Amino acid sequence: MFVHKPLRLVVPLLALIGFLWLIFGSSHETKPNSPYKYKKIKKNDVIPRNLPADHISHYDLNKLSSTPMAAYNKERVLILTPMAKFLDQYWDNLLKLTYPRELIELGFIVPRTADGDAALRKLGTAVKKIQNPKNTKDAKFAKVTILRQDTEALDSQSEKDRHAFKVQKQRRSQMAVARNSLLFTTIGPYTSWVLWLDGDIVETPPTLIQDLVSHDKPVIAANCYQRYYDEEKKEDAIRPYDFNNWVESEEGLRIASTMSDDEIIVEAYAELATYRPLMGHFYDPNGDVNTEMQLDGVGGTCLLVKADVHRDGAMFPSFPFYHLIETEGFAKMAKRLGYEVFGLPNYLVYHYNE
Amino acid sequence: MDDQLGSPKLFRRPRKAVQQRSRICVIASVSGLLMASCVLYLIISLVSARDIFRYSPTFDSSNAIDTQFYDLKDYVGHADGWARGERVLFCVPLRDAASHLPMFFGHMRNMTYPHNLIDLAFLVSDSSDDTMGVLEKNLLEIQSDPNPEMHFGQIEIFQKDFGQIIGQGFSDRHGFAAQGPRRKMMARARNWLSSAALKPYHSWVYWRDVDVETISPTIIEDLMHHDRDVIVPNVWRPLPEWLGNQQPYDLNSWQESDGGLQLANTLDEDAVIVEGYVEYATWRPHLAYLRDPYGDPETEMVLDGIGGVSILSKARVFRSGAHFPAFSFEKHAETEGFGKMCKRMGFAVVGLPHYVIWHIYEPSNDDLKHMEWMAQEEVRQQREESMQKVYERVYGAGFLDVEDEWKEEKPLILRNTDSSRGARKIQVDWDDVDTFGDDLNGQGLADFDPAL
Repeated sequence: MFVHKPLRLVVPLLALIGFLWLIFGSSHETKPNSPYKYKKIKKNDVIPRNLPADHISHYDLNKLSSTPMAAYNKERVLILTPMAKFLDQYWDNLLKLTYPRELIELGFIVPRTADGDAALRKLGTAVKKIQNPKNTKDAKFAKVTILRQDTEALDSQSEKDRHAFKVQKQRRSQMAVARNSLLFTTIGPYTSWVLWLDGDIVETPPTLIQDLVSHDKPVIAANCYQRYYDEEKKEDAIRPYDFNNWVESEEGLRIASTMSDDEIIVEAYAELATYRPLMGHFYDPNGDVNTEMQLDGVGGTCLLVKADVHRDGAMFPSFPFYHLIETEGFAKMAKRLGYEVFGLPNYLVYHYNE
Repeated sequence: MDDQLGSPKLFRRPRKAVQQRSRICVIASVSGLLMASCVLYLIISLVSARDIFRYSPTFDSSNAIDTQFYDLKDYVGHADGWARGERVLFCVPLRDAASHLPMFFGHMRNMTYPHNLIDLAFLVSDSSDDTMGVLEKNLLEIQSDPNPEMHFGQIEIFQKDFGQIIGQGFSDRHGFAAQGPRRKMMARARNWLSSAALKPYHSWVYWRDVDVETISPTIIEDLMHHDRDVIVPNVWRPLPEWLGNQQPYDLNSWQESDGGLQLANTLDEDAVIVEGYVEYATWRPHLAYLRDPYGDPETEMVLDGIGGVSILSKARVFRSGAHFPAFSFEKHAETEGFGKMCKRMGFAVVGLPHYVIWHIYEPSNDDLKHMEWMAQEEVRQQREESMQKVYERVYGAGFLDVEDEWKEEKPLILRNTDSSRGARKIQVDWDDVDTFGDDLNGQGLADFDPAL
């Protein structure tokens, strides 16, 4: 039948091909000295915003400085926050910081999960409130960058799951990648300081940046505590929260020397008793708030870093680096690059209590 | 008759019905096919882009100033990035490079990757020549070209001096002792450049040295279509004829060997292994030496350490934290350490043994000495030649050539002195030789007693 009337077959086939071409096909062009096919360039395709006319900009990084008089010298601080959950207290605390806002850049990264979407929604609303051009009441941040991770994160984020020893390595490895993605896309030629502030830090002194900057250290960590209700004493109390700020111990080194290259030591787990002195236990309510102690491992809950340290390459290893990972590995890498790492045992910031 | 005539009619009627039915069938099946392909397309697009359900905020100058949102999944980098409009960050570290820049910009003009998708980032450090001035002049020239396709995207020039510790002559830079500190310094420079220039919307990062002499204009596409996390071409350099015409240049691209791992274990924590020096014999297979001029340029080789002349990597690699170690990372620094770190982070690092770009030829101190000797030798030979001519003329005028005469007279003069020509036969009688000492009757000379 089709043999006698080939048109009957050809016409719908052509229609089908045409239809598919409409869906899949697109206009391509070739270049004389290239075997590849190129897309026709549409005007204003993906050109970055705010470019000068000749697209050329100059930055003299020799003039960049990180000094104890940061605000006076108009040094820019980049506050970076990996955010799995948006807490109103975090945002309120951030807005209370007294460092000049036009010198502060914000960077956030949210995970590729439903939780991340929820956080993103709230964060977007909060940012639009402050950065809105109609809002003349509040000072605006110099720049806000919000990123979504490109890889799916581990699903379970409840406190119990999060701290299980077995999932620690994988979770912290992903966390390290998230921190690095945020850091290396937002650190710019103006950045003098980077403040790592976790999304669940709900209370800090409003002079946080000025206080940490005044110590003039390459890397300095605040002591992260948590407020809770003591059922026994029937009163509000505080307890240490971040155990990643520590000084290396002989036992820690001994355990590390017996491990294979791919194993990591994580602090505060009964499975691995390293007997490392933890900064969390060095808090003295009557002590000098400016007391410094040298550290070998740091946490990322509230950590100030001179931008040069990151620029030289100190990042958050997503793999076991001297058997350390993420922020603890970062401290080790900074030390390998010749920088010293410090903590402030008597300077407290508070973590959210779930 | 009527019946007979009508019978074909009767017969034809059902055939028409069949035709109609078949037409309906065709239309139905074709439209069914269309529907099916539509549905299939929708399903495929939905499955591949599950993320359409993801919430993405929109920020613009009307609702939030200086605020931007990026979904990093939109910038992961694909094999055909040029057709997808993926942006490339093009990083060039510069130091005393003024003389190479005009050649470099010649290559930039020819590059086929859409220029508007390329963001250039230069780091000028510790330069004593006019690198900055030449760079600016060339950039302005290309950005004001009447052809808009020549214009690049964002261009950032960074300046940072790290305090130079070593000279920039070929032998200063390539001497063994200078390698460790020098590589660490260069690693810092590279890290400063990429960290300041990398933006969330970059999908690829391309590292390129300025002193490349010959390179395909499609270099980025050629490397990109392999869709690898980190990829390098083979780097050779042309040589003067007296050195054999060509030579592998970049020995930093290699595969780890047992010898290399053993060597690493014997060194202290801060030591840096550098390839291509007799002091560190690693027996590693080098990308450069595996080149076959007639080999398939698509061939890939897995690498552990890489050189920095021309590296294409997905921006995701740098976003994840991989960088050029300015400390001894697994006994390596800079680009070689970068290769090691990428492997450690699970990224694919490959090289193309049969796809070659050509570095310029910079003579070493020994080469320079040899070249000086060759120049002197040439002058000497020319002088000798002209002297020879003078001598010949002088000889021709001052002396009488008697060679032919001598040829005739020689046999006559030597007739009586040449023993080979004489007929005298000398006979030697050897018979007595073997009987020497027989007359002592077995008494050796040593038995002689002077007392008797």
